Amino acid sequence: MSTDIQSSPAERATPYSKDAITHFIYRYGLLVVLALMIVVFSIAHPFFGTFANAMFILQASAIVAVVGLGCTISMTVGGFDLAVGATMSLVVMVAAGAMVIYGFSGPVAILLGLAAGLLAGLLNAMLIVYARIPDLVATLAAQFLVSGTTLLAVNGQSISEGMSLGTTSATGTFAPIFKWLGSGYVFGVHSSVIVAGLVFLAVFALLNLTKWGRIFYAIGGNPVAAAAVGIPVRRYRIIAYLLSGLLSAVAGLLLVARSNRGDVSVGDAYLLQAVSAALVGYAVLGANRANAFGTLIGAVFVATLINGLTMFNFPYYAQTFVQGLLLGVALLMSYTLGPKSKR
Amino acid sequence: MTDMTAPADSLPLVRFEAITKHFGGTVALAGVTFEVRHGETLGLLGSNGAGKSTLIKILSGMQPQTGGDILIEGVPQTLDSPVDARDCGIVTVHQNIDDGVVFGMTVAENLVLDNLSVAGGNPWMPYGRVRRQAAAILEELDFDLPLDVPVEQLSASGRQEVSIARALVKKPKLLILDEPTSTLSARESERLFERVAAMQARGIAILYVSHRMSDIQRLCHRAVVLRNGQVVSNHDAPLDARAITVSILGEIALAPAFESRTGRETVLSGEGLRVSRHGPAFDVSFRRGEIVGLTGLVGAGKTELLEQFYGARPLVSGKLELLGQPFEPRDQPDALAHGIAMVPEERAAQSIFPGEQLTTHASIGRLDRFSTAGIMQRSEEVAFARKVISDFHVRCPGHEAPIEALSGGNQQKLLVGRWLADEREVMILDEPFRGIDIGARSVIAKALRAYSENTAVIVCSSDPEEVIEVADRVLVMRDGEIVCDIASSEISAEQLADIMSAAPPSQAHPTTMETNSVH
Repeated sequence: MSTDIQSSPAERATPYSKDAITHFIYRYGLLVVLALMIVVFSIAHPFFGTFANAMFILQASAIVAVVGLGCTISMTVGGFDLAVGATMSLVVMVAAGAMVIYGFSGPVAILLGLAAGLLAGLLNAMLIVYARIPDLVATLAAQFLVSGTTLLAVNGQSISEGMSLGTTSATGTFAPIFKWLGSGYVFGVHSSVIVAGLVFLAVFALLNLTKWGRIFYAIGGNPVAAAAVGIPVRRYRIIAYLLSGLLSAVAGLLLVARSNRGDVSVGDAYLLQAVSAALVGYAVLGANRANAFGTLIGAVFVATLINGLTMFNFPYYAQTFVQGLLLGVALLMSYTLGPKSKR
Repeated sequence: MTDMTAPADSLPLVRFEAITKHFGGTVALAGVTFEVRHGETLGLLGSNGAGKSTLIKILSGMQPQTGGDILIEGVPQTLDSPVDARDCGIVTVHQNIDDGVVFGMTVAENLVLDNLSVAGGNPWMPYGRVRRQAAAILEELDFDLPLDVPVEQLSASGRQEVSIARALVKKPKLLILDEPTSTLSARESERLFERVAAMQARGIAILYVSHRMSDIQRLCHRAVVLRNGQVVSNHDAPLDARAITVSILGEIALAPAFESRTGRETVLSGEGLRVSRHGPAFDVSFRRGEIVGLTGLVGAGKTELLEQFYGARPLVSGKLELLGQPFEPRDQPDALAHGIAMVPEERAAQSIFPGEQLTTHASIGRLDRFSTAGIMQRSEEVAFARKVISDFHVRCPGHEAPIEALSGGNQQKLLVGRWLADEREVMILDEPFRGIDIGARSVIAKALRAYSENTAVIVCSSDPEEVIEVADRVLVMRDGEIVCDIASSEISAEQLADIMSAAPPSQAHPTTMETNSVH
């Protein structure tokens, strides 16, 4: 019974008593860099610090944030959803097709889009939970299946108002609600930013304030231990992937509203951006795990950086490199500076 | 270095000189001194947590010692990695057989694996060459294994032979066999013993670590017993099983410090149960108001039996009844919903959520009580965690500390304590005292005693002393069967150890046991 708790190595390995500077960088590093970046850009360019530009940055990060929050949920249960981009594309085509080709109303198109997202999430969940395929490969297969379904359904063509349908042309138009989602404002804030904000609040509350959030993280931390305390692990993993599909659908609806047309594969590019936003988020506030606030910061960080660099005529083709650099630094912070992985 | 005056050839092969090992504040080894001589087979014994595994890890270069010296043929050596150990002629075959083989590769590929890491050599390694080299190895060692079979298709003993062959290829002076028979059947063990005899004939020194007295008696020239991180006795052949057992267990409790109870109504019972499809069938029952200690050697079938109770394994045969109703749990959450909870054996793998706070660990099994419409009520959760921490004397920096900040004993107090807040029908604890100190053990034992007033409690342990200490009634499993069912007040830990390790199952029936227990 002479155990000296304060000096045990396990205690030293935790962030509580780490060397102060490392600890500070680990917790606040990304936020400090983000703040510094904003200050520097604002001083260097008169337009950067304006309200209009701030809204522009948020608008640029809104869709990535929504998909990223979906990825975050699948990551909390120890999973990984590679199908989010393909799901977005599917939803874009479903919503555009519903209105333009079949002449459905806006709300119906939204419901159909959300249902398509849930179906894609269900496909993931079935492959992972019932077929017992590892998450990464299952969602890779689902990605191709979802993309392929989309392409087959529209014969590989884009959907736009007045498009040719063999002998006739499409008579449907984009519903007003989509026009609002694409270009509406509330008190000067773009509608997509408002939607993203609401999604963020919901996911933040789910993961941090509810028992379901606890259960998600418990499953991600140790599924065996979770089952041992009576958690129906399979059910919650299915729910996590359904939510990921649902948020991909929300992002897809924002995307189709923005362009007012349906291009196949338009959502695919969002996969990597969303995943990197969620991974950058690991390093925010020293969470060292997928978390809603971190993902939001991750999405805003990338958009801010690209916005600022563009303003200084940084070539657009260098953006990928800058994103890679950011992700690398963030991962370095959570894996190298953070407490050693206990797994 | 005190041996320097002795002639070189009489120097021991390996000498441990006051080896200590601390894990934070926990002392695993408190100054261990002993030696292994050239060509001898030395048995190393001790109960769980005595320090055997720690000692093996140090000797095989997997962990550094905190203090003390390892002298190899009189020269102090630093063993920083398994490669260092191998260079000193020390090779280990670990207890977990599958750690010694690579799945997805054939036997031949496994056998030449170590040749691949040698610098230089011919990088051209087509399968034909692999096969020729492997065949040469088997020829030289006089092993008979199918070369082209994927290693996962071999039996446990076949895979162990691959591990041993891989070890022998390294031409060890000292081979460490860690619990080599723990997962083998009697016939497979026989094959291993022949192998050991052949190695002895080649003059290889062996450190044979085992719980099984009969193995030790049969194979070893000498035996060393560890207890609480220290060498407590040395024994020479012929080895006296009784003396060794007493030494392993230490001062055996003369009588349980409590009144032995008989329990009330039956809560959980099973008829015609088996732990494996072709094993013997048996009946068992557990009553409210008693603690049943389930004991037996590793591999006797304890875990396999318990898993059927709490839904981690489908019922092999027969039927279960819970409170008089037929009962067959689908899975663990289902069993829990029926009032059967369990504390798993492997804390790190089965109970701990890495990096999570003590509070989270305390509340995770009963989140419904701390949430309204799904929203967590943090203050109630914290109050519960604090209560468990104080009731069970959990020594910790605070309820928000990550669980890794606690010693094993304090982790266990929290993990057991959180379950005892709710009434249940059956509470199962698998090896609850493994690797924890005597203080934590007594806190948990006392709490279980109170909790068992209204619950059937099952404590599973391979340490007879622990079982006697906590249980009202003791069940002994051996070779997949319950061979003894007796009140704990009528039997000693020594006698239990004898029943657990008796070789053929015919020697000790419950009936013969009763005559044994009369002094």
